[in-house]
Amino acid sequence: MFDARQTLELLYLLVKKELKVRYKNKFLGYVWALVNPFAFAFVYWIAFKFIMRLEIVNYSLYLITGMFPWVWLSAGMVAGTRSFVVSASLIKKAPLPRAILPLGNVAQEMVHFAFALPVIIAFLWFAGEIRPSASWVWQVPLLLALQLAFVYPLALGFALANVYVRDIEYLVGIGLSLLFFATPMVYPITMVPEAYRRWFELNPLHALMQSWRSVFLQSTLDFNHMAYAAACAAVTGVIAWLLYRKLAPRVGELV
Amino acid sequence: MTHAVMCEDLWKTYQLHRPLGVKTLLLGADTPRDTRFAREWALAEVGFQVPRGRSFGVIGPNGSGKTTLLSILLSTVQEDRGRVSLSGRVAPLLELGAGFHGDLTGRENVFLFGSILGVRLAEIRRRFDNIADFSELEGAIEQPLRTYSAGMIARLGFSTIIHSPADILLIDEVLAVGDASFQAKCHRALREFRARGGTLIIVSHNMKEVTEVCDEGICLDLGRVVDAGPMAGVAARYQERMAAADRAQVRGGALGKP
Repeated sequence: MFDARQTLELLYLLVKKELKVRYKNKFLGYVWALVNPFAFAFVYWIAFKFIMRLEIVNYSLYLITGMFPWVWLSAGMVAGTRSFVVSASLIKKAPLPRAILPLGNVAQEMVHFAFALPVIIAFLWFAGEIRPSASWVWQVPLLLALQLAFVYPLALGFALANVYVRDIEYLVGIGLSLLFFATPMVYPITMVPEAYRRWFELNPLHALMQSWRSVFLQSTLDFNHMAYAAACAAVTGVIAWLLYRKLAPRVGELV
Repeated sequence: MTHAVMCEDLWKTYQLHRPLGVKTLLLGADTPRDTRFAREWALAEVGFQVPRGRSFGVIGPNGSGKTTLLSILLSTVQEDRGRVSLSGRVAPLLELGAGFHGDLTGRENVFLFGSILGVRLAEIRRRFDNIADFSELEGAIEQPLRTYSAGMIARLGFSTIIHSPADILLIDEVLAVGDASFQAKCHRALREFRARGGTLIIVSHNMKEVTEVCDEGICLDLGRVVDAGPMAGVAARYQERMAAADRAQVRGGALGKP
C-alpha cells in the first residue's frame, strides 16, 4: 500500500512533528538541544582535567567531538526502542510500514545533531583553534550516513524485542550508560592498559566515535575505523531485517 | 471483479500472551493465568463477500471478534488461516484522534494523518480545501489541536478520511460524529462515497444506524458467523436473542442472590 515515496513523505512528517513538538512553547527551544551534551562534557572536564588533573592534550575538544555523536546515538536508541510500544494505537489502527517508526526517532536525533554542528564547529574554532575545513562539506554527511546506518538497525531490533519483552527499554538505557564508560569517551584509548587495549578496539562504538574525531580534529577520514563500523552496521542490518520480517506481522496484536 | 471484499474461511487465534518481563523470567509466572479470553478461536471459519458499492454491517456482542475481523481486513493483524482478498485501497476510520497530535495545528494534523493513511502529500494538498470546508472548522484549522473539542477532532478526522482516495472504508463505532446536522452530512458523504463505487464495512452496536446504512451484514458470536443476510433481518434477530438472554439473566438474578 505504501510505495517508497509515500514512506519517505510519512517519515518526513513524523520527524517534522517531533521537532515541532519538542521546540514548541519552549523559550530556549534550540538551546535545549545543545545543553545536554555540553553539560556532560563540562562535568567530565571538571572531573578529569580540573580535579584529577589528567594530562590529556586538547581534552575539551576530545570530549565535545565524542559527546554530540554519542547523545544522538543514545537518544535515538532509547526513543527508537520504545517506538512500537509508544505508537501502539497507530500500529493497531493503521497499516503503515512499521519499520519507519524507529527510523523516525533515529532520524530526528540526527537532525538535532545536525542543528548542533555550527556550535560544535564554533567551539572547535575558539577553544581549539581548529579552522573549519572545506572537506567537512562531504566528510560530515558521509559520517551522518554511516552513523544512521549504524544506529537504525539496532533501534529497529530492540524495538521489535521490546514488544515481546517490555524490560528491553530499561536494559537498553542501562546498557548505554555502561557502554559510555566502556567506550573511550571521557578517556583516550591510549590510557587503557596495553593488555586490554585490543578488546577496547573491538568495540564498534569506539570505531564510530574515532571516525567523528578524526574528521573534526584532523579533517581526515579514518578509513579503518569507518570500515569496521560499516561492517558492524551491515551485520546488524541483516539481523534486524530478518527479525523484522519474522516478527513485524505479529507486532499489531502484541503492542 | 465484482467483489470489493472477499473473506474465505478465516481463522485467527490469539495466544494467551502476556508481555514477558524479566520478573516473570526470573521468578516464574506466579499469578494465575488470565483465562477470561481463553477460547480457542478469536475468529473461526468466517466467510463473507461484499460487492462493490455496497455497505456491509458487522454486529455481535462484545468480544465476538468484530474488531479482530476489521484488523485483519486492514492487515494490522495477520490471519492464521483463510483468505482475504480486497480489490482497491483500504482506509480505516480510526478511533477519535488516534494518529492526531495535540501540539500540531488542524492543518498539520490533516497532512500527518493523511500521510499515515498512505495518501501522498501532493494529493492532500490538492484536497485540503475540501477537507477544511467539510470539517466546518474554519479559522480553527490553524489552531493547535489541543484547543479543539472532541467533536471538532472527530469532524476533522472524518473529513480527512472521507477525502482520502480509498475504495473500501472500515468504520469501527465512529459514526456518531458531531451534532445531528454534521451526522446527516457524514451520512450523505458516505452515500456519495458508495455512489462512486466505494464499499463500506461498518462495525456498530447501534442497530438502528446499522440497519439504515447497511444493505447486508453478519452477526458474530464467539468468533463465528451465527447469522448472515439482509441487515434488517440480521439486526432484528440479534436484538431478539439479546432480549431473550437478558430476560433469562433477570430471572436468574444478574447480581446474584443477596
